Amino acid sequence: MFDSLTIFRIVKTGFVNYWRNIWLSAAATMVMTITLVIFSILAIVFGITQFSINQVTDRVDVSVYFKPGTAEGVIEQFASDLKKKPEVSAVTYTSAEDALAAFKATHAQDQLILDSLDELSDNPLPATVQVKADKIEDYPHIAEGIQNGGYKEHISKVNFEDNRLLIERFGKASKLIVVGGSVLVAIFSIIAILVIFNTITLTIYNRKEEVEIMRLVGATNWYIRGPFIIESLLYSVVATIITSALVLALVSKLQSSSLSYISGTGEGNLPLFYPYGQWTYTIPALLLIAILLSVASSMLAIRKYLKI
Amino acid sequence: MIRFENVIKYFGNTKALSAIDLEIKHGEFISIVGLSGAGKSTLLKLVTGEERADEGRVLIDDIDIAKVKVSDLPYLRRKIGMVFQDIKLLPKRTAFENVAFAMEVSGHKRDRIEKEVPKILELVGLLHKKHNFPNEMSGGERQRIAIARSLAHRPALLMADEPTGNLDEVNAAEVLDLLLKINKLGTTVILATHASDLVNKIKKRVITIEGGRVVLEQERGRYKL
Ligand SMILES: Nc1ncnc2c1ncn2[C@@H]1O[C@H](COP(=O)(O)OP(=O)(O)OP(=O)(O)O)[C@@H](O)[C@H]1O
Ligand SMILES: [Mg+2]
Repeated sequence: MFDSLTIFRIVKTGFVNYWRNIWLSAAATMVMTITLVIFSILAIVFGITQFSINQVTDRVDVSVYFKPGTAEGVIEQFASDLKKKPEVSAVTYTSAEDALAAFKATHAQDQLILDSLDELSDNPLPATVQVKADKIEDYPHIAEGIQNGGYKEHISKVNFEDNRLLIERFGKASKLIVVGGSVLVAIFSIIAILVIFNTITLTIYNRKEEVEIMRLVGATNWYIRGPFIIESLLYSVVATIITSALVLALVSKLQSSSLSYISGTGEGNLPLFYPYGQWTYTIPALLLIAILLSVASSMLAIRKYLKI
Repeated sequence: MIRFENVIKYFGNTKALSAIDLEIKHGEFISIVGLSGAGKSTLLKLVTGEERADEGRVLIDDIDIAKVKVSDLPYLRRKIGMVFQDIKLLPKRTAFENVAFAMEVSGHKRDRIEKEVPKILELVGLLHKKHNFPNEMSGGERQRIAIARSLAHRPALLMADEPTGNLDEVNAAEVLDLLLKINKLGTTVILATHASDLVNKIKKRVITIEGGRVVLEQERGRYKL
């Protein structure tokens, strides 16, 4: 609908508008930046809590210890029965021999332990089956089922470390962060919309004469509106650049310190936009939010004050 | 070229125009005269679509303006040159830029603008003032720049609303000569004015309106009132 020359003129006028009211533009850009920074921090904190919940959840399982001398066939049958249950995601069978070999391997440096093991005639370690569930709330039920199930006489112990309380707390914290953060984001979004609305209104007012003449000598409506939208887009783009720089600096700091504390390894990317966990989503997401806010408010100002 | 058919226009309770019937032909020079408040500006605004008729039709080359979509009005306006009663030059732009602005807005290329604007300024006799701002020019010169701007996109129709309003006799005569010259070059001209002696001199068709009605139509008439 527009040729490149017209687009060039619209964009150019948008830049001129931005520059002519540089202080107002700076204020609008600043408010937008604050909104984006709050949003980013919210996303990071939410990402960290989710990451932590996953870490803790990953460590939960049900361990079933079998009595010494239980036939392997029985245990294998038990394992395959468990696998058929829909709530079970993984079953790992470790035979007594394997357990002993693994134990010896981990204590290969410790002669005292190895010596005392050799003194025992029987393998002191039991055969175990580790059970993992998809959902954290299924564990108590699975553990109970095993304890009272058909293999009861072969089982010496069912161990289920109940981390649910911890996980629940993390979950509550993350909910609180999301709710509180969303309220903050909403408040600042409204402020950003108002500030941009006022800035664009002022630009429209400053260019009242020009707009009227443009209209009367045959400018199309979009030719008249375009520069104001470009001006508001500039707020978004500049704010996104500033925010990205700030957030990238913050996250690289976080990544090197707190993440190693949480995961115990110090590896992996910080899952900023959980569940995507990808950096490539961050900047486009910020830009999208910024553009939505600024275009919404400039369109409001244009509809209200730009007489076409 | 333009036909008014029984046109009525209200502003609230004010009847600005009542039952206007009028035809303006291609290449014509027509003067609309009347006292202040007679409805001259309103008549011109109906042609550019700035105002809409409440009753009757306004046709440009047999196209009913009421049926032109709002989004298509700009393209209509590019075919018409309008010299506004209040001039409407941009104070922060030079004579050249004011004329160029109108061309930019309707999508002309830069090199075309660079070529055309000096020609138009030459036509109105103000090429030597191209770098001056409106406040550095006389009323007559400003009026001629406004005429230059209205001619920028080579309109088939030029409408001048009170172009001699605040001018002394000499300047008014100059502006009028310019309009006659433009008309000779093939552009249809509509001149709205209340200056009696002015239209008496030029011996062209005169329409007299009073209280929104055509009260007198003269082919080479003299303005009475
Ligand atoms: N936008 C408007 N709102 C309300 N009334 C208007 C408007 N425009 C014009 N009028 C009224 O319509 C009538 C005709 O006005 P118009 O401007 O056409 O007169 P005119 O002949 O151009 O006068 P002048 O010689 O003073 O320019 C007047 O009574 C005026 O008050
Ligand atoms: Mg008038």
